[in-house]
Amino acid sequence: MSDQAATPLSRQRRFVTPVAGETLEGLAARALPDTAPAEAADGIRSWNLHIFAMRQPRGLLLCSDVVFVEPPLG
Amino acid sequence: MYDVIIRNGLVVDGDGAAGFHADVAIRDGRIAEVGEISSDARQVIDATGRVVAPGFIDPHTHFDAQLLWDGQARPALEHGVTCVIPGNCSLSLAPLRAADRPAVVGMFQQIEEMPAEAFTERFAKWTWEDFGGYCRTIGEGLGINVAPLVGHSLIRLWVMGAASQERPATPDEVKAMQVLLRRCLDEGAIGLSTSFVDVDATGRPVPSRFADCAELDALCAVLGEAQDGRMLQVVPEFYASDLTIARIDQLAELSLKHAIPTTFSPVFDSNVAPESAPRILARVEEQFARGARVWPQMQTRPIDITFSLLNPSLYLVRVPSWFSTLRQPLEKRLAALADPEIVRRLIADAGSDGGDAIFGGLVIRGGDRAPADYVGRTLRDVAGERGEGVAQALFSISMANGLDVAFLAANGGHDDTSRIGPMLAHPLVHVGASDGGAHLASFATYGDTGYLFSEFVRASGHFTLEEAVKKITADTADIWGIKDRGRLKPGLAADVVVFDPKRIARDAEKPAHDVPGGGLRYVRASIGIEAVLVNGAVAYADGAYTEARTGEICGSSMARVA
Repeated sequence: MSDQAATPLSRQRRFVTPVAGETLEGLAARALPDTAPAEAADGIRSWNLHIFAMRQPRGLLLCSDVVFVEPPLG
Repeated sequence: MYDVIIRNGLVVDGDGAAGFHADVAIRDGRIAEVGEISSDARQVIDATGRVVAPGFIDPHTHFDAQLLWDGQARPALEHGVTCVIPGNCSLSLAPLRAADRPAVVGMFQQIEEMPAEAFTERFAKWTWEDFGGYCRTIGEGLGINVAPLVGHSLIRLWVMGAASQERPATPDEVKAMQVLLRRCLDEGAIGLSTSFVDVDATGRPVPSRFADCAELDALCAVLGEAQDGRMLQVVPEFYASDLTIARIDQLAELSLKHAIPTTFSPVFDSNVAPESAPRILARVEEQFARGARVWPQMQTRPIDITFSLLNPSLYLVRVPSWFSTLRQPLEKRLAALADPEIVRRLIADAGSDGGDAIFGGLVIRGGDRAPADYVGRTLRDVAGERGEGVAQALFSISMANGLDVAFLAANGGHDDTSRIGPMLAHPLVHVGASDGGAHLASFATYGDTGYLFSEFVRASGHFTLEEAVKKITADTADIWGIKDRGRLKPGLAADVVVFDPKRIARDAEKPAHDVPGGGLRYVRASIGIEAVLVNGAVAYADGAYTEARTGEICGSSMARVA
């Protein structure tokens, strides 16, 4: 199995999952440490409409969430 | 002397090999012999000109409640389905403390569109709390085999109570969940289901969505302990391919780490984004190449959805204010519709085009009080005739007729056979996602198997007869670790379907008022199914159900215990 598991995977959109109690700002700082905080938070908000537009209550972060940390791949 | 012999049929044994003419003998609920059989039997079925195949297995159903009042899961059985897997999408009816029943009923109402009356009518029979108690209760009158999943949301709710929808679990709570899951598996569960999308009756995410990765990992460790293929079923964010691919990657890691199979459903083909499903399947191929088992489930049938303001369905989710207002209990709904200001706001929310884009293409399909001269016409057409906007017409026609006017969205997608056929035939694609027993007033969840033969064998030729049978019998049994079903081989359970290969299909969708409490559901009868045997007994023949109640709880654990 280990040999098989080493089979390379094609590049897909990067994501993280929130840790308990994490805010959008905290997640943005963790996932995008080299980006200005406000810009990082705005980016994550815009790349994750399933959390920040479609969810009630809007923006509720769950530890099971997939949170994309980059825009859709071209 | 055998119990049953099925003579002169074309035996398609489930393995995909070419069919061959033979007799099939059954004794004590098992296949006893396949070949030229001269012995006698107490019951002989003439299958001349017919196919004799293993019973079909439906891996994605929500018959959890229906099995309490209908042990045959009608009409699934008459379509040749002899084994169903309920408990999908994080929802089962056990383990569940009595005090938590209303909350779980609310989840079933919200997610699976099952009326509360279907549960409350049966509360007198609702005596169990543990998983084994549920299995014993449905087992009393079972006419179909059941391999139940246990829902992650139920496991969480049992251990954490209300906190299950508030926070991640503590390490001690995770350990308690592991103990509980282990017990459910020992009591008959074939695996665990979880959900990343569903919400409860109040719109709040279901308990499983509050779990962190460590919790799901710990539960998968329990699935892996038995080393006999206990399944993890997941409903991902199926509306977006990037999200689905992320979930595939998560499932693959769990599959590799714990040596378990996983499956996710549904995968839809989209006419708007036709590249989505192939992208998902490409990722599945990559993960299988690594040794992971991440089985995508795809349904055979096109998507259509019906709703009325009397039976509002998930279709209304397209306009959030409609969904929240019109999915209220009837009394509150009527009060809202009697308020001109609320109706005016709802119409405005339908869009600046008066709701034409969202609702204009709906077809008025009937309902007990639908005006006859409107039936079969689009709402756009009727609204124009009435000199109203589309949303306004929807409300005025409904309100003038006791809300009992049904609208059909027939163009929901997943309807391009030229694209779907090759995907269904893909060796890694698991035919499933029927949702049997759910979405009662939205669409019929029965007959996907018949549609596989009528559309993808006879009409399009994407499958041979043998390939189609294999896909919904042996393949399904192998994926789920159901070791003694899915094939016509001596020694295996005698779940058998006799059908006419030239006719097998699903009939037209029709309303039925046979849900406890008088509730509506849409059903489809079968065409071309001549006999269905469950564990050796004829359960359906010549268009009628029999009194046979030979179904079993047949999860992998039960096979192991046996």
